Amino acid sequence: MKRNGVKMLAFCHHAALFAPDIGNQANIEAVRLFPKHLRAYCAVNPNYPEIVKKDMRTFASYPDVYIGFKFLADYHECPLMDGRYKPAWEYADTKKLLVLLHTWGGSHYDGPEQIEKAAREYSGAKILLGHSCHGEWDKAIELAKTFPNIHLELCAVMDERGILERFVEKLGSKRIVFGTDFPWFNHHYYIGAIINAGLCDEALHDVFHRNAEKLLGVLF
Amino acid sequence: MSLNFFDINAFIGRPKGKARFNPIASSAELLGAMDTSGIQKAVLWHISQYDYSAVEGNRILNEMVLKTDRLFGCWTLLPPQTGEVITDDFFAGMERNRIIALRAFPDFHRFFLSRTVFNGFLEEVVARRIPLLLSLARGISWSGVYNLLQDFPDLTCILCEIGLANRFSWPLLEHYPNVYLETSLLSYAAEGIESTVRRFGARRLVFGTGFPERYHLAAIMGLLHADISNVDKEKIACQNLDNIISGIKYDK
Repeated sequence: MKRNGVKMLAFCHHAALFAPDIGNQANIEAVRLFPKHLRAYCAVNPNYPEIVKKDMRTFASYPDVYIGFKFLADYHECPLMDGRYKPAWEYADTKKLLVLLHTWGGSHYDGPEQIEKAAREYSGAKILLGHSCHGEWDKAIELAKTFPNIHLELCAVMDERGILERFVEKLGSKRIVFGTDFPWFNHHYYIGAIINAGLCDEALHDVFHRNAEKLLGVLF
Repeated sequence: MSLNFFDINAFIGRPKGKARFNPIASSAELLGAMDTSGIQKAVLWHISQYDYSAVEGNRILNEMVLKTDRLFGCWTLLPPQTGEVITDDFFAGMERNRIIALRAFPDFHRFFLSRTVFNGFLEEVVARRIPLLLSLARGISWSGVYNLLQDFPDLTCILCEIGLANRFSWPLLEHYPNVYLETSLLSYAAEGIESTVRRFGARRLVFGTGFPERYHLAAIMGLLHADISNVDKEKIACQNLDNIISGIKYDK
Protein backbone atom coordinates (compact mmCIF):
# COMPACT_ATOMS: atom_id res chain seq x y z
CA MET A 1 0.00 0.00 0.00
CA LYS A 2 2.83 2.36 0.87
CA ARG A 3 4.49 1.76 -2.48
CA ASN A 4 1.20 2.35 -4.26
CA GLY A 5 0.29 5.52 -2.35
CA VAL A 6 -2.79 4.00 -0.74
CA LYS A 7 -3.51 5.64 2.61
CA MET A 8 -6.23 3.38 3.89
CA LEU A 9 -7.70 0.04 2.86
CA ALA A 10 -11.25 -0.97 3.75
CA PHE A 11 -11.39 -4.73 3.26
CA CYS A 12 -13.05 -7.95 4.21
CA HIS A 13 -10.81 -10.93 4.92
CA HIS A 14 -11.19 -13.91 2.58
CA ALA A 15 -11.42 -16.21 5.55
CA ALA A 16 -14.32 -14.18 6.92
CA LEU A 17 -16.13 -14.59 3.60
CA PHE A 18 -15.17 -18.13 2.64
CA ALA A 19 -14.30 -19.99 5.86
CA PRO A 20 -17.11 -19.66 8.40
CA ASP A 21 -15.03 -21.63 10.90
CA ILE A 22 -12.52 -18.77 10.98
CA GLY A 23 -14.99 -15.99 10.32
CA ASN A 24 -14.57 -12.37 11.32
CA GLN A 25 -11.78 -13.10 13.77
CA ALA A 26 -9.48 -12.83 10.72
CA ASN A 27 -10.71 -9.27 10.14
CA ILE A 28 -10.19 -8.27 13.74
CA GLU A 29 -6.63 -9.62 13.88
CA ALA A 30 -5.61 -8.01 10.58
CA VAL A 31 -6.92 -4.55 11.49
CA ARG A 32 -5.31 -4.64 14.91
CA LEU A 33 -1.94 -5.38 13.33
CA PHE A 34 -2.12 -2.22 11.19
CA PRO A 35 -4.70 0.06 12.83
CA LYS A 36 -3.56 3.21 11.01
CA HIS A 37 -4.14 1.75 7.56
CA LEU A 38 -6.82 -0.93 7.76
CA ARG A 39 -10.53 -1.09 8.55
CA ALA A 40 -12.81 -4.06 7.95
CA TYR A 41 -16.29 -4.84 6.78
CA CYS A 42 -17.86 -7.42 9.05
CA ALA A 43 -18.69 -10.39 6.80
CA VAL A 44 -22.26 -11.62 6.90
CA ASN A 45 -22.73 -15.18 5.71
CA PRO A 46 -26.49 -15.83 5.92
CA ASN A 47 -26.00 -19.58 5.68
CA TYR A 48 -24.93 -19.51 9.34
CA PRO A 49 -27.50 -17.43 11.25
CA GLU A 50 -25.99 -18.42 14.57
CA ILE A 51 -22.65 -16.88 13.55
CA VAL A 52 -24.39 -13.77 12.20
CA LYS A 53 -26.22 -13.45 15.51
CA LYS A 54 -22.97 -13.69 17.44
CA ASP A 55 -21.22 -11.18 15.14
CA MET A 56 -24.12 -8.75 15.50
CA ARG A 57 -24.00 -9.07 19.26
CA THR A 58 -20.30 -8.22 19.37
CA PHE A 59 -20.13 -5.74 16.46
CA ALA A 60 -20.26 -2.67 18.72
CA SER A 61 -17.28 -3.95 20.71
CA TYR A 62 -15.02 -3.35 17.72
CA PRO A 63 -15.37 0.32 16.79
CA ASP A 64 -11.65 0.31 15.99
CA VAL A 65 -12.13 -2.53 13.46
CA TYR A 66 -15.47 -2.35 11.65
CA ILE A 67 -16.82 0.29 9.33
CA GLY A 68 -19.86 -1.71 8.24
CA PHE A 69 -20.86 -5.01 6.65
CA LYS A 70 -20.02 -7.02 3.58
CA PHE A 71 -22.58 -9.24 1.82
CA LEU A 72 -21.32 -11.67 -0.80
CA ALA A 73 -24.71 -12.87 -1.96
CA ASP A 74 -23.68 -14.49 -5.26
CA TYR A 75 -21.10 -16.69 -3.55
CA HIS A 76 -23.20 -17.42 -0.47
CA GLU A 77 -26.13 -18.18 -2.80
CA CYS A 78 -28.62 -16.19 -0.81
CA PRO A 79 -30.46 -13.14 -2.21
CA LEU A 80 -29.87 -9.78 -0.57
CA MET A 81 -33.40 -9.49 0.74
CA ASP A 82 -33.44 -12.92 2.37
CA GLY A 83 -34.55 -12.61 6.00
CA ARG A 84 -31.27 -14.03 7.26
CA TYR A 85 -29.50 -10.77 6.38
CA LYS A 86 -32.15 -8.76 8.22
CA PRO A 87 -30.34 -8.25 11.54
CA ALA A 88 -27.35 -6.76 9.72
CA TRP A 89 -29.48 -4.66 7.36
CA GLU A 90 -31.47 -3.25 10.26
CA TYR A 91 -28.37 -2.49 12.27
CA ALA A 92 -26.72 -0.72 9.33
CA ASP A 93 -29.94 1.15 8.63
CA THR A 94 -30.26 2.42 12.19
CA LYS A 95 -26.59 3.29 12.64
CA LYS A 96 -26.17 4.64 9.08
CA LEU A 97 -23.33 2.23 8.40
CA LEU A 98 -21.73 1.20 5.14
CA VAL A 99 -22.85 -2.05 3.52
CA LEU A 100 -20.53 -3.25 0.76
CA LEU A 101 -22.39 -5.53 -1.60
CA HIS A 102 -20.91 -7.77 -4.24
CA THR A 103 -23.20 -6.89 -7.16
CA TRP A 104 -23.38 -8.41 -10.63
CA GLY A 105 -25.59 -7.77 -13.64
CA GLY A 106 -28.18 -10.48 -14.19
CA SER A 107 -27.74 -12.03 -10.77
CA HIS A 108 -30.80 -13.24 -8.90
CA TYR A 109 -28.85 -12.87 -5.68
CA ASP A 110 -27.35 -9.40 -5.95
CA GLY A 111 -28.50 -7.94 -9.26
CA PRO A 112 -30.37 -4.63 -9.71
CA GLU A 113 -33.76 -5.98 -8.64
CA GLN A 114 -32.52 -7.11 -5.24
CA ILE A 115 -30.51 -3.93 -4.76
CA GLU A 116 -33.52 -1.76 -5.49
CA LYS A 117 -35.59 -3.52 -2.81
CA ALA A 118 -32.76 -3.21 -0.28
CA ALA A 119 -32.13 0.48 -0.98
CA ARG A 120 -35.84 1.24 -0.60
CA GLU A 121 -36.24 -0.75 2.60
CA TYR A 122 -33.01 0.35 4.28
CA SER A 123 -32.64 3.95 3.25
CA GLY A 124 -30.44 4.75 6.25
CA ALA A 125 -27.70 2.32 5.23
CA LYS A 126 -24.94 3.61 2.97
CA ILE A 127 -24.95 1.00 0.23
CA LEU A 128 -21.80 0.54 -1.80
CA LEU A 129 -22.28 -1.46 -4.99
CA GLY A 130 -19.09 -3.48 -5.38
CA HIS A 131 -18.49 -3.98 -9.15
CA SER A 132 -21.39 -1.57 -9.87
CA CYS A 133 -23.78 -4.29 -11.12
CA HIS A 134 -21.06 -5.50 -13.49
CA GLY A 135 -22.37 -5.53 -17.05
CA GLU A 136 -25.67 -3.81 -16.23
CA TRP A 137 -23.95 -0.46 -16.08
CA ASP A 138 -26.99 1.65 -16.93
CA LYS A 139 -28.99 -0.07 -14.20
CA ALA A 140 -26.28 0.86 -11.70
CA ILE A 141 -26.49 4.49 -12.82
CA GLU A 142 -30.27 4.42 -12.57
CA LEU A 143 -30.14 2.94 -9.06
CA ALA A 144 -27.68 5.59 -7.90
CA LYS A 145 -29.85 8.32 -9.38
CA THR A 146 -32.98 6.99 -7.70
CA PHE A 147 -31.51 6.23 -4.28
CA PRO A 148 -29.23 8.78 -2.62
CA ASN A 149 -27.87 6.07 -0.31
CA ILE A 150 -26.36 4.11 -3.23
CA HIS A 151 -22.74 4.57 -4.28
CA LEU A 152 -20.87 2.91 -7.14
CA GLU A 153 -17.55 1.13 -6.64
CA LEU A 154 -15.03 0.56 -9.43
CA CYS A 155 -13.55 -2.89 -8.89
CA ALA A 156 -13.66 -4.93 -12.13
CA VAL A 157 -15.12 -1.88 -13.83
CA MET A 158 -11.82 -0.41 -14.98
CA ASP A 159 -10.67 -3.34 -17.11
CA GLU A 160 -12.83 -1.95 -19.87
CA ARG A 161 -12.53 1.53 -21.35
CA GLY A 162 -15.60 3.73 -21.33
CA ILE A 163 -17.63 2.67 -18.28
CA LEU A 164 -16.30 5.20 -15.78
CA GLU A 165 -16.65 7.91 -18.42
CA ARG A 166 -20.33 6.95 -18.73
CA PHE A 167 -20.85 6.91 -14.96
CA VAL A 168 -19.40 10.40 -14.58
CA GLU A 169 -21.31 11.76 -17.56
CA LYS A 170 -24.69 10.46 -16.33
CA LEU A 171 -24.23 10.64 -12.58
CA GLY A 172 -21.43 13.08 -11.82
CA SER A 173 -18.41 12.16 -9.73
CA LYS A 174 -19.78 12.46 -6.18
CA ARG A 175 -21.12 8.94 -5.81
CA ILE A 176 -18.26 6.93 -7.32
CA VAL A 177 -15.70 5.31 -5.06
CA PHE A 178 -12.23 3.95 -5.86
CA GLY A 179 -11.86 0.22 -5.22
CA THR A 180 -9.66 -2.53 -6.62
CA ASP A 181 -10.30 -5.95 -5.04
CA PHE A 182 -6.66 -5.88 -3.96
CA PRO A 183 -4.84 -8.28 -3.55
CA TRP A 184 -6.46 -9.77 -6.63
CA PHE A 185 -5.87 -6.66 -8.69
CA ASN A 186 -3.16 -4.07 -8.95
CA HIS A 187 -3.56 -0.55 -7.54
CA HIS A 188 -1.41 1.02 -10.23
CA TYR A 189 -3.39 -0.55 -13.04
CA TYR A 190 -6.56 1.01 -11.62
CA ILE A 191 -4.91 4.34 -10.91
CA GLY A 192 -3.62 4.51 -14.50
CA ALA A 193 -7.01 3.53 -15.90
CA ILE A 194 -8.85 6.18 -13.89
CA ILE A 195 -6.35 8.90 -14.82
CA ASN A 196 -6.72 7.85 -18.48
CA ALA A 197 -10.52 8.19 -18.36
CA GLY A 198 -10.29 11.94 -19.01
CA LEU A 199 -11.92 13.16 -15.78
CA CYS A 200 -11.23 16.69 -14.55
CA ASP A 201 -9.03 17.12 -11.44
CA GLU A 202 -12.01 17.71 -9.15
CA ALA A 203 -13.66 14.52 -10.30
CA LEU A 204 -10.41 12.60 -9.86
CA HIS A 205 -10.14 13.81 -6.26
CA ASP A 206 -13.77 12.77 -5.66
CA VAL A 207 -13.21 9.29 -7.00
CA PHE A 208 -9.77 8.61 -5.57
CA HIS A 209 -10.41 9.77 -1.99
CA ARG A 210 -13.01 12.44 -1.20
CA ASN A 211 -16.09 10.27 -1.65
CA ALA A 212 -14.62 7.49 0.47
CA GLU A 213 -13.59 10.01 3.13
CA LYS A 214 -17.16 11.27 3.27
CA LEU A 215 -18.55 7.77 3.60
CA LEU A 216 -16.11 6.90 6.34
CA GLY A 217 -16.71 10.28 8.01
CA VAL A 218 -15.44 9.84 11.51
CA LEU A 219 -12.13 8.33 10.40
CA PHE A 220 -11.07 11.41 8.44
CA MET B 1 12.15 6.78 -15.42
CA SER B 2 10.92 6.96 -18.99
CA LEU B 3 10.56 3.89 -21.15
CA ASN B 4 10.16 3.27 -24.85
CA PHE B 5 6.88 1.41 -25.10
CA PHE B 6 6.18 -1.01 -27.94
CA ASP B 7 2.60 -2.24 -27.67
CA ILE B 8 2.08 -5.81 -28.93
CA ASN B 9 -1.66 -5.81 -28.36
CA ALA B 10 -3.70 -2.99 -29.90
CA PHE B 11 -6.53 -3.15 -32.38
CA ILE B 12 -8.23 -0.85 -34.76
CA GLY B 13 -11.68 -0.69 -36.35
CA ARG B 14 -15.30 -0.57 -35.32
CA PRO B 15 -16.63 -3.75 -33.65
CA LYS B 16 -19.85 -5.31 -34.96
CA GLY B 17 -21.56 -5.05 -31.59
CA LYS B 18 -22.23 -2.10 -29.36
CA ALA B 19 -18.84 -0.93 -28.09
CA ARG B 20 -18.71 0.70 -24.69
CA PHE B 21 -15.31 2.15 -25.56
CA ASN B 22 -14.63 4.65 -28.32
CA PRO B 23 -13.41 2.60 -31.27
CA ILE B 24 -10.32 3.76 -33.15
CA ALA B 25 -11.22 4.08 -36.81
CA SER B 26 -7.92 5.11 -38.42
CA SER B 27 -4.19 4.73 -37.96
CA ALA B 28 -3.91 8.52 -37.53
CA GLU B 29 -6.31 8.33 -34.60
CA LEU B 30 -4.38 5.45 -33.08
CA LEU B 31 -1.07 7.29 -33.45
CA GLY B 32 -2.61 10.34 -31.78
CA ALA B 33 -3.68 8.25 -28.79
CA MET B 34 -0.24 6.61 -28.67
CA ASP B 35 1.45 10.01 -28.68
CA THR B 36 -0.74 11.22 -25.82
CA SER B 37 0.14 8.15 -23.77
CA GLY B 38 3.83 8.01 -24.73
CA ILE B 39 3.76 4.79 -26.73
CA GLN B 40 6.24 4.76 -29.59
CA LYS B 41 5.30 1.69 -31.63
CA ALA B 42 2.50 -0.84 -31.83
CA VAL B 43 1.58 -4.14 -33.42
CA LEU B 44 -2.05 -3.96 -34.34
CA TRP B 45 -4.80 -6.09 -35.73
CA HIS B 46 -8.18 -5.10 -37.13
CA ILE B 47 -11.38 -6.10 -35.33
CA SER B 48 -12.90 -7.16 -38.67
CA GLN B 49 -10.31 -9.95 -38.81
CA TYR B 50 -12.32 -11.47 -35.96
CA ASP B 51 -15.86 -10.09 -36.31
CA TYR B 52 -16.27 -10.31 -40.07
CA SER B 53 -13.71 -12.02 -42.27
CA ALA B 54 -10.08 -12.95 -41.79
CA VAL B 55 -9.42 -12.30 -45.47
CA GLU B 56 -11.06 -8.88 -45.65
CA GLY B 57 -9.83 -7.93 -42.21
CA ASN B 58 -6.23 -8.75 -43.18
CA ARG B 59 -6.62 -6.63 -46.29
CA ILE B 60 -8.02 -3.62 -44.40
CA LEU B 61 -5.26 -3.96 -41.83
CA ASN B 62 -2.58 -3.80 -44.53
CA GLU B 63 -3.83 -0.38 -45.56
CA MET B 64 -3.68 0.89 -42.00
CA VAL B 65 -0.22 -0.44 -41.23
CA LEU B 66 1.49 0.75 -44.38
CA LYS B 67 0.71 4.38 -43.58
CA THR B 68 3.45 4.71 -40.96
CA ASP B 69 6.61 2.95 -39.85
CA ARG B 70 5.50 3.09 -36.21
CA LEU B 71 2.87 0.45 -36.80
CA PHE B 72 3.25 -3.24 -37.59
CA GLY B 73 0.52 -5.68 -38.48
CA CYS B 74 -0.75 -9.02 -37.38
CA TRP B 75 -2.63 -11.29 -39.82
CA THR B 76 -5.36 -13.69 -38.81
CA LEU B 77 -5.00 -17.36 -39.79
CA LEU B 78 -7.53 -19.82 -41.14
CA PRO B 79 -6.80 -23.49 -42.01
CA PRO B 80 -4.49 -23.90 -45.04
CA GLN B 81 -6.82 -26.45 -46.64
CA THR B 82 -9.44 -23.82 -47.53
CA GLY B 83 -6.92 -21.55 -49.24
CA GLU B 84 -8.62 -18.42 -47.89
CA VAL B 85 -5.67 -16.85 -46.09
CA ILE B 86 -2.69 -19.15 -46.58
CA THR B 87 -1.59 -18.83 -50.18
CA ASP B 88 1.70 -19.59 -51.97
CA ASP B 89 3.17 -16.15 -51.40
CA PHE B 90 1.99 -15.89 -47.78
CA PHE B 91 5.36 -15.17 -46.16
CA ALA B 92 6.49 -12.80 -48.90
CA GLY B 93 3.17 -11.00 -48.45
CA MET B 94 3.81 -10.70 -44.74
CA GLU B 95 7.14 -9.00 -45.32
CA ARG B 96 5.73 -6.71 -48.01
CA ASN B 97 2.94 -5.56 -45.68
CA ARG B 98 5.00 -5.14 -42.48
CA ILE B 99 3.21 -8.08 -40.85
CA ILE B 100 5.33 -9.34 -37.99
CA ALA B 101 2.93 -11.67 -36.21
CA LEU B 102 -0.06 -13.93 -36.68
CA ARG B 103 -3.24 -14.41 -34.71
CA ALA B 104 -5.79 -17.19 -34.63
CA PHE B 105 -9.27 -17.39 -33.14
CA PRO B 106 -9.98 -21.11 -33.61
CA ASP B 107 -13.01 -21.45 -31.34
CA PHE B 108 -14.74 -18.43 -32.83
CA HIS B 109 -13.76 -19.14 -36.45
CA ARG B 110 -14.58 -22.85 -36.06
CA PHE B 111 -11.42 -24.83 -36.66
CA PHE B 112 -8.81 -26.72 -34.66
CA LEU B 113 -5.43 -25.12 -34.15
CA SER B 114 -3.63 -28.45 -34.30
CA ARG B 115 -1.03 -30.43 -36.20
CA THR B 116 -3.75 -32.23 -38.18
CA VAL B 117 -4.88 -28.92 -39.62
CA PHE B 118 -1.70 -26.79 -39.72
CA ASN B 119 1.08 -29.37 -39.97
CA GLY B 120 3.50 -28.05 -42.62
CA PHE B 121 2.42 -24.46 -42.35
CA LEU B 122 3.03 -24.08 -38.65
CA GLU B 123 6.33 -25.98 -39.02
CA GLU B 124 7.36 -23.16 -41.34
CA VAL B 125 6.09 -20.54 -38.89
CA VAL B 126 8.24 -22.17 -36.21
CA ALA B 127 11.29 -22.30 -38.49
CA ARG B 128 10.83 -18.68 -39.53
CA ARG B 129 10.38 -17.69 -35.88
CA ILE B 130 7.19 -15.77 -36.56
CA PRO B 131 5.22 -15.14 -33.36
CA LEU B 132 1.66 -16.38 -33.05
CA LEU B 133 -0.53 -14.28 -30.74
CA LEU B 134 -3.36 -16.01 -28.92
CA SER B 135 -5.86 -14.10 -26.81
CA LEU B 136 -7.42 -15.94 -23.92
CA ALA B 137 -10.21 -13.37 -24.04
CA ARG B 138 -11.04 -14.06 -27.68
CA GLY B 139 -11.36 -17.29 -29.58
CA ILE B 140 -9.23 -19.83 -27.72
CA SER B 141 -9.27 -21.61 -24.37
CA TRP B 142 -6.35 -22.68 -22.20
CA SER B 143 -6.82 -26.29 -23.27
CA GLY B 144 -6.58 -25.13 -26.90
CA VAL B 145 -3.27 -23.43 -26.12
CA TYR B 146 -1.96 -26.51 -24.31
CA ASN B 147 -2.91 -28.79 -27.23
CA LEU B 148 -1.28 -26.48 -29.77
CA LEU B 149 2.00 -26.27 -27.87
CA GLN B 150 2.08 -30.02 -27.41
CA ASP B 151 1.94 -30.28 -31.21
CA PHE B 152 4.41 -27.42 -31.86
CA PRO B 153 6.65 -27.09 -28.78
CA ASP B 154 9.09 -24.68 -30.43
CA LEU B 155 6.46 -22.23 -31.62
CA THR B 156 7.03 -18.59 -30.69
CA CYS B 157 3.74 -17.93 -28.98
CA ILE B 158 2.63 -14.75 -27.19
CA LEU B 159 -0.33 -15.29 -24.88
CA CYS B 160 -2.47 -12.19 -24.57
CA GLU B 161 -5.11 -11.07 -22.06
CA ILE B 162 -4.26 -13.69 -19.50
CA GLY B 163 -5.18 -12.03 -16.19
CA LEU B 164 -4.95 -13.97 -12.95
CA ALA B 165 -3.81 -17.24 -14.47
CA ASN B 166 -0.43 -18.34 -13.11
CA ARG B 167 -1.71 -21.87 -12.66
CA PHE B 168 -2.40 -22.02 -16.39
CA SER B 169 0.42 -19.87 -17.75
CA TRP B 170 3.43 -20.81 -15.61
CA PRO B 171 3.55 -24.50 -16.63
CA LEU B 172 3.71 -23.29 -20.24
CA LEU B 173 6.59 -20.92 -19.43
CA GLU B 174 8.34 -23.80 -17.71
CA HIS B 175 7.93 -26.28 -20.58
CA TYR B 176 8.15 -24.14 -23.72
CA PRO B 177 11.07 -21.70 -24.05
CA ASN B 178 9.43 -19.64 -26.80
CA VAL B 179 6.24 -18.86 -24.94
CA TYR B 180 5.81 -15.23 -23.82
CA LEU B 181 3.11 -13.47 -21.81
CA GLU B 182 1.62 -10.15 -22.86
CA THR B 183 1.32 -7.77 -19.92
CA SER B 184 -1.98 -5.86 -20.22
CA LEU B 185 -4.05 -8.07 -17.95
CA LEU B 186 -1.02 -9.54 -16.26
CA SER B 187 -0.38 -6.09 -14.81
CA TYR B 188 -4.08 -5.93 -13.84
CA ALA B 189 -3.35 -8.71 -11.37
CA ALA B 190 -1.58 -7.57 -8.20
CA GLU B 191 2.04 -8.84 -8.33
CA GLY B 192 1.31 -10.36 -11.74
CA ILE B 193 4.41 -8.92 -13.37
CA GLU B 194 6.65 -9.14 -10.31
CA SER B 195 5.94 -12.78 -9.51
CA THR B 196 6.44 -13.88 -13.12
CA VAL B 197 9.72 -11.99 -13.43
CA ARG B 198 10.98 -13.48 -10.16
CA ARG B 199 10.15 -17.00 -11.35
CA PHE B 200 11.03 -16.86 -15.07
CA GLY B 201 12.96 -13.64 -15.69
CA ALA B 202 11.88 -10.52 -17.58
CA ARG B 203 12.69 -12.05 -20.98
CA ARG B 204 9.36 -13.87 -21.03
CA LEU B 205 7.13 -10.79 -20.87
CA VAL B 206 6.06 -8.45 -23.66
CA PHE B 207 4.31 -5.12 -23.09
CA GLY B 208 0.73 -4.82 -24.36
CA THR B 209 -2.29 -2.65 -23.62
CA GLY B 210 -5.45 -4.11 -25.18
CA PHE B 211 -6.21 -0.58 -26.41
CA PRO B 212 -8.83 0.68 -27.27
CA GLU B 213 -10.84 -1.79 -25.24
CA ARG B 214 -8.65 -1.06 -22.24
CA TYR B 215 -6.67 1.96 -21.08
CA HIS B 216 -3.11 2.72 -22.24
CA LEU B 217 -2.19 4.25 -18.89
CA ALA B 218 -3.39 1.25 -16.91
CA ALA B 219 -0.82 -0.97 -18.62
CA ILE B 220 1.86 1.74 -18.54
CA MET B 221 1.39 2.41 -14.82
CA GLY B 222 1.30 -1.31 -14.14
CA LEU B 223 4.76 -1.72 -15.65
CA LEU B 224 6.32 1.61 -14.62
CA HIS B 225 5.50 1.01 -10.96
CA ALA B 226 6.16 -2.71 -10.89
CA ASP B 227 8.61 -3.72 -8.19
CA ILE B 228 11.30 -4.94 -10.61
CA SER B 229 14.57 -3.43 -11.86
CA ASN B 230 14.68 -0.70 -14.49
CA VAL B 231 16.65 -3.04 -16.73
CA ASP B 232 13.81 -5.56 -16.54
CA LYS B 233 11.25 -2.84 -17.25
CA GLU B 234 13.13 -1.87 -20.41
CA LYS B 235 13.20 -5.46 -21.58
CA ILE B 236 9.45 -5.79 -21.10
CA ALA B 237 8.55 -2.36 -22.50
CA CYS B 238 10.21 -2.92 -25.88
CA GLN B 239 13.45 -4.90 -26.00
CA ASN B 240 11.92 -8.36 -25.87
CA LEU B 241 9.58 -7.58 -28.72
CA ASP B 242 12.38 -5.93 -30.73
CA ASN B 243 14.37 -9.14 -30.29
CA ILE B 244 11.48 -11.33 -31.39
CA ILE B 245 10.97 -9.22 -34.50
CA SER B 246 14.65 -9.13 -35.39
CA GLY B 247 14.69 -12.94 -35.26
CA ILE B 248 11.96 -13.33 -37.90
CA LYS B 249 13.16 -14.94 -41.14
CA TYR B 250 10.84 -14.07 -44.00
CA ASP B 251 13.16 -15.82 -46.50
CA LYS B 252 13.81 -19.49 -46.07
